[in-house]
Amino acid sequence: MIFTNPLWLYLMPLALVPFFLALQKQDGYPALQFVPLDRLSQGVTWALRTAGAVAIGGLVLGVSGIALRERVIQRFGQGAHIVLLIDRSSSMNDTFAGRQPSGEEESKSAAAKRLLKDFVIERKHDRFGVAEFSTAPMHVVPITDHKGIVLNAIDAIDRPGLAFTDVGRGLGMGLSMIDEDVLPGSRAIVLVSDGVAVVGRRVQESLRTEFARRPVHLYFLYLRTEGSNSMFATPPPGAEDTPQALPERHLNIFFESLRIPYHAYEAENAEAVKAAIADIGKLEQTPIVYTERTPQYDLSRWAYALAAIALALLLAAKLCARTLKPSWGNAHVS
Amino acid sequence: MTVFGITLDRRTLLLVASLLMAIGAAIGFHLIRNQRIADVLAVIDITGSMNARDMGDPKGSQDRLEAAKSALVNFMQDVPCESRLGLGVFSERISYLLFEPAEICNNYDAMEAAIAGLDWRMAWEGDSYIAKGLYSAIEIASSLKSDLIFMTDGQEAPPTPLSGIPEFDGKPAAVKGIIVGVGGSEKIPIPKFDDEGRQIGVYSETDVPQENRVGPPPKDAETREGYNPRNAPFGAMPATGDEQLTSVKTAHLEDLARITGLHYAELQHVGALAPPLKAATEPRLLPVNTDMSYVPAIFALALLLATYALSLVEAAPFSRLGRLRNFRLTPHHREGNLLHAS
Repeated sequence: MIFTNPLWLYLMPLALVPFFLALQKQDGYPALQFVPLDRLSQGVTWALRTAGAVAIGGLVLGVSGIALRERVIQRFGQGAHIVLLIDRSSSMNDTFAGRQPSGEEESKSAAAKRLLKDFVIERKHDRFGVAEFSTAPMHVVPITDHKGIVLNAIDAIDRPGLAFTDVGRGLGMGLSMIDEDVLPGSRAIVLVSDGVAVVGRRVQESLRTEFARRPVHLYFLYLRTEGSNSMFATPPPGAEDTPQALPERHLNIFFESLRIPYHAYEAENAEAVKAAIADIGKLEQTPIVYTERTPQYDLSRWAYALAAIALALLLAAKLCARTLKPSWGNAHVS
Repeated sequence: MTVFGITLDRRTLLLVASLLMAIGAAIGFHLIRNQRIADVLAVIDITGSMNARDMGDPKGSQDRLEAAKSALVNFMQDVPCESRLGLGVFSERISYLLFEPAEICNNYDAMEAAIAGLDWRMAWEGDSYIAKGLYSAIEIASSLKSDLIFMTDGQEAPPTPLSGIPEFDGKPAAVKGIIVGVGGSEKIPIPKFDDEGRQIGVYSETDVPQENRVGPPPKDAETREGYNPRNAPFGAMPATGDEQLTSVKTAHLEDLARITGLHYAELQHVGALAPPLKAATEPRLLPVNTDMSYVPAIFALALLLATYALSLVEAAPFSRLGRLRNFRLTPHHREGNLLHAS
C-alpha cells in the first residue's frame, strides 16, 4: 500500500469531525428526561457519524493517491536464460541464395530478425541477453527480463554490419554476459551466424577452459548460403580438410569436442530457421525462477466510490429527517 | 424551496453537490495533456582517444568514455517516462546501432547496464574518422525518425585531410540533435594498451600519423623542405605535430555541427544533456492521460465539511446565547418553546 501524494494524509484527522459536529439541523426540545432511551436512534446516530467519517476518510485517501505497490513475485517456471549471439557481418544482409535481397526474398538477417523476435515474444518466462559479433564483439543488452529492449536490439540486426566474423571473441563476450548474470537457472548461448572465420588456436584454448568453468548449453544456428559448404558433410577424399578451407565444419568439430550440451542446426531457408528455433525452445525447458511484475494498482477510485456510498447514506438520512418546527402549509409536524 | 415534496435546504443542496462530486471522482476525470518527450539515438565514440582522463570532478577522475556514459545515464533520469533512447557506438568510420530507441522507464535497468557495458574494446578499428561516423549516425537516426546525440571528443585519427572535412551529402538539419564535445580543453596524452588490455604508457609522437597525406597536398607545399611535385608533394620531412595529445576539438566539432545542422554542446560546460537537446530539437509531443479525479474529490470533501460546519455557524438550540436571546416571557414562550426554539 503506497500513497502517491502522501501530504494530503494530513487531512485525515478531519474524519473525526462527524463525531463532534452533527450533520442534521438541530431542533430544540425542552427536556429529554421523559423520552425513553431508544437504542435504535442511538444506533442510527452512530451509523450516520461513521458514514460521515467514512466519506471524509475515503475522499482523503483518494486524494492522497492510495495504491497497491508494484510487486515483483518470483515464480518457478520452465525456461532458461538465453544469450542470443548474433552475427552482424555484412554477408548476413544477403539472401539465403547469396544474392542481394530483392523485393520477394528476405535477407538472412531479416529472416533471423523476424523469427528471433517471435521466439523472444513466445518464451514468456525466459530472460534474454543480446551480444553481437563481427569484426569486434559487441555487448548490446545484458541478460534481462525486460523484453522491450531485447526486441529493439533484435530490430537492429539487419542494419549494415561490419566486415569480418570474429566468432571466438563473440563467444567470449557471450560467456562474460552469462557470468554477469546471477539468477539461478539453466543458461544457453544461441549462436546465429552465416559462416565463420577460423577460431585461432589460443582463442580455442581459452574458450575451452571458459566453457568448462560453467554449465552452459550451446546452440549453433548456421544460416547456410546456398551452395556453400555444409558443416556436417565430410569432404570427399582428396579435398582439403583444414579450418581455413572449411571453417564451419571445423568450428562444429571444436564445439563437439567441448563436452557441453551442444546442438548444431543448419538452415538454408526461413522455414528451417523456424524449425531450429522451435527445437531450441523445446530443449530449453529446465526449471527456472522468473519474476512476474504486478504493476502498481490505483485504489483511489475505490476510495472515491466508498466515499460516494457513504455520502449517499448521509443524503438519504438527510432526506428522511423531519423538523420539529411547524412549517407553513402542509407541515410535517410529527 | 420544495421540489417533489423534498425540502431543498442548505444541507440537502450541499450534500447533493458533494455526492455528485464524489461520484464524478469515482467515475474518473481525466485530462489529456501533451507532454514533451525525447526520442533520441545516442551514439558514443569508443575510439582510443576517449580513454584520455580529463573529465569528472575533480578533473581527471573520469575518462571521457566514463563521462559520456554517466552523462547519458543522467539524461535517462532527466527526461520524462515514455521517452525513448536508442544506443549506438562509433569507431573507425561508421556508427553501429546496438538497439533501436526503446522506452526508457520500462527498460531502465537493462538500458543502464547496456550503457555501462560500452567499452573501448568494442572498437573494431583504431581509426576515428569522426565526420564520416557522424554522417552515418545521422543516416541511422533519420531512418529511425529520432533525434541524435553524438558524443565524441572530435579527435580525428588520422588527422582531417588537408582538403578539409569530407562532404556531407545529407540534407542539413533534416535530423535534429546535438554533437556533444567530451573532454577537457587542455592537451593531454592518450593512454596506450597492449593486446591484453593493460595500459602500457601513452602514445608518443611517432605512434600516430601527424598529417593526413591522402588527397592533394596543401597550397603552401612548395615552401616545405625537400618539396618535389612528383616524388615528395608533401615535402621530404616527416610530419611533426602533437596529434598524440588530445583535447576536445571544439572548432572542428562546431564546423561539423554547422555542416550538418546540429547544435554543439560541450559536456564540460553544460553538465546535463537534456537542456541542450531540448533547445536543439523540435518538440515531440505525446498525449499523456493525466488523472485529475482529485479535483472533484477535493470539492466533495470541502462541501461535506461545509455541511458539518453549518452547525457551528447556526446557533445550536439551547445554547446560552440562543437562550438569552429568546428569553422573553411572552405568552408564546410560556406555552413552551417546543416549536420556536432557535
